[in-house]
Amino acid sequence: MTDERTQPLLKFTGQKYLTHRLVLSTLTGRPIRISQIRSSSPTNPGLAPHEVSFLRLLESITNGSTIEFSYTGTTLVYRPGLITGSADGLGASGGVLRHELPAGCTRGISYFLIPLCLLAPFSKAQVNVIFHGPGVITSATPTGDVSVDTVRTAILPLFAQFSIERNIELRILKRSCAGPGGKGGGGEVQMVFGHQVRLPKTLHLMNPGRVKRIRGVAYAIGVAGANNARMIDTARGVLNKFVPDTYIFSDVSSAPFISTNDRSNPGAKKKIGIGFGLSLVAESSTGCLYSADVVCPPSGGVPPEEIGKQAAYQLLEIISKGGCVSSIAAPTMLTLMAMGSEDVGRLQMGRDVIGSEEMIELGRDLNAFGGSGWGLRDAGDESGDIVVSVVGRGVGNVGRKIA
Amino acid sequence: MAPTLGKRKRITRERLEQSSRSSSASRSASEQSDGEDIQNIFQRAFEAKFKPLGVEPKKRKIEEVVENEEDLEEESDWSGINSEEDNVEVVEYSNGRNTGEKASRTEMKAFMSSKPPTSQSQTRSLATKAKPAEDEDDATETTHLKNDLALQRLLRDSHLLSSTSTSGSNTPTLNATGAQRHKSTDLHLLSLGAKSSIHTQKNMPMSHRKGIAAKNKQREERRRAEARENGVILEKAIKVKRFTKERERGVGGPGVGKFRGGTLTLSKRDVADITGGGGEKGRSKGKKGRR
Repeated sequence: MTDERTQPLLKFTGQKYLTHRLVLSTLTGRPIRISQIRSSSPTNPGLAPHEVSFLRLLESITNGSTIEFSYTGTTLVYRPGLITGSADGLGASGGVLRHELPAGCTRGISYFLIPLCLLAPFSKAQVNVIFHGPGVITSATPTGDVSVDTVRTAILPLFAQFSIERNIELRILKRSCAGPGGKGGGGEVQMVFGHQVRLPKTLHLMNPGRVKRIRGVAYAIGVAGANNARMIDTARGVLNKFVPDTYIFSDVSSAPFISTNDRSNPGAKKKIGIGFGLSLVAESSTGCLYSADVVCPPSGGVPPEEIGKQAAYQLLEIISKGGCVSSIAAPTMLTLMAMGSEDVGRLQMGRDVIGSEEMIELGRDLNAFGGSGWGLRDAGDESGDIVVSVVGRGVGNVGRKIA
Repeated sequence: MAPTLGKRKRITRERLEQSSRSSSASRSASEQSDGEDIQNIFQRAFEAKFKPLGVEPKKRKIEEVVENEEDLEEESDWSGINSEEDNVEVVEYSNGRNTGEKASRTEMKAFMSSKPPTSQSQTRSLATKAKPAEDEDDATETTHLKNDLALQRLLRDSHLLSSTSTSGSNTPTLNATGAQRHKSTDLHLLSLGAKSSIHTQKNMPMSHRKGIAAKNKQREERRRAEARENGVILEKAIKVKRFTKERERGVGGPGVGKFRGGTLTLSKRDVADITGGGGEKGRSKGKKGRR
């Protein structure tokens, strides 16, 4: 490839932030080499099932990207192609790409959805992916992924601030919690992202405002709907004092059936992914979103009251960190700002949000991919927040430029 | 009272009131002390002249009853509910909650749909709330607006009024009535882009319509002739489009002639066209046949 001559491989180590590095590589067009992926683990070195699955997803929504593994899977070379989306003939049929997740997947579906949402605005055609198979966990997971409800209600609305707002849908076709041992699920989720742009708008978000309302979704999968009522009651008991406009919707669904993969009885099916959880979103008067997500552990043994209380306290904690974005949404926002036009965008963030390991690593990665550094200064008000200034790359959507 | 024979006399209202008053007075006399009785009389006299006084004695009675009940309860073993607990604001809490559920019932579809939720539903509800409050604040504003509109209409249609002022109402009012109202509506509709006036008759005998058209044409011609004689330049006459020679032919129809009653009829000209000129005339022009 011509890229290889002009651009050397960017080198990274470790399996941390793998998805984000792959996304940045795809967006900037820089090939990367990631080494030492779980090289110290004697039992399962190399890429985990969800990481392999994400690479397959990247390959199917791009055209011309190549992925090379080492023998043990501890080293990976990725050369990005053009983001084509769910165009016909490239793995998609009828404009819909079906992506199956393996049963050993331990991460929630948001692990795939959030990076996909980052790629989708820069795609050539619309992105329409159905995630299915025995590895789709729509709920939050103990591994730290948020639920699909949080993605829909707390992360997707943020794209509207970059004027990416039309034809975006996240359909939850089948819900599922994490299966036994936190592995696998049986859910089904369709992501439609039909608004492609040349460049996202420059963002100036400096006023966090005050929280005016709290919404949420309580989900019970394969268990009694009374669990929802109990979670909602406790969470409201905590939150109603602060925000009277609090409402949590309840969603009760049956547990998904998946095949047991039993040789002797191929028709046999089992229920998987039973549990309940709560996703809360607080909206401020200026449109900033803060979200919290708590789910019962796959082993069970936690009463719904406890989940409701934890979720409410988690939301209060996240709001108390301040700023205009929570730590879940911050990578998405900052990456979109960095991919924007050659202009300075500003974003006010709480000290604890910007001061996390994840954000600092994101800043370093953006720098490595050729972005300019962030400018940080005190907001100057009593909140003690920090204003992050990000200069856009000004390249934007390559596919749109040609078309 | 003296017993009356025969028909019972109709008891008038005054008499009834008198009797009842006297009886109640006598009862009160028997039950209560004289001082209270006098006070009652005074009160009644006062109430006859002015507004009735506050009903304090009744309230006292109820209180007494309550006390009695409490006494009864105290006699039984059950200790009852503490009066302090009655003050807990449980009722308010449930009220607020009910309204919340009602409000978000409409919001549920917006939030639980597959699309990312926007804060538009909230703003819309706020707007609907704010409207009636505004109306209450200045109800006169709307009446002013209404009057303004009516006045504008009146000014627009003032020529109507002047033409009919001799026959109709001499004083022009804001709201036209009767035939004037119809005319004014018609003008309004025409100004808004109506194709024809509402006064034009849709169906009428052909002779009538022809007559009207002829009269209109004659009137127009006379106007133009007078203007020409007086040297006044008028607007250009709009010529009614006559039937063009080459008419639009339908898609499925024949390319030539006219198809009627299952037969294709060709006129002489059509035939001449096809054959390439009938006689010397066509030859001389060098007309080519259409085939």
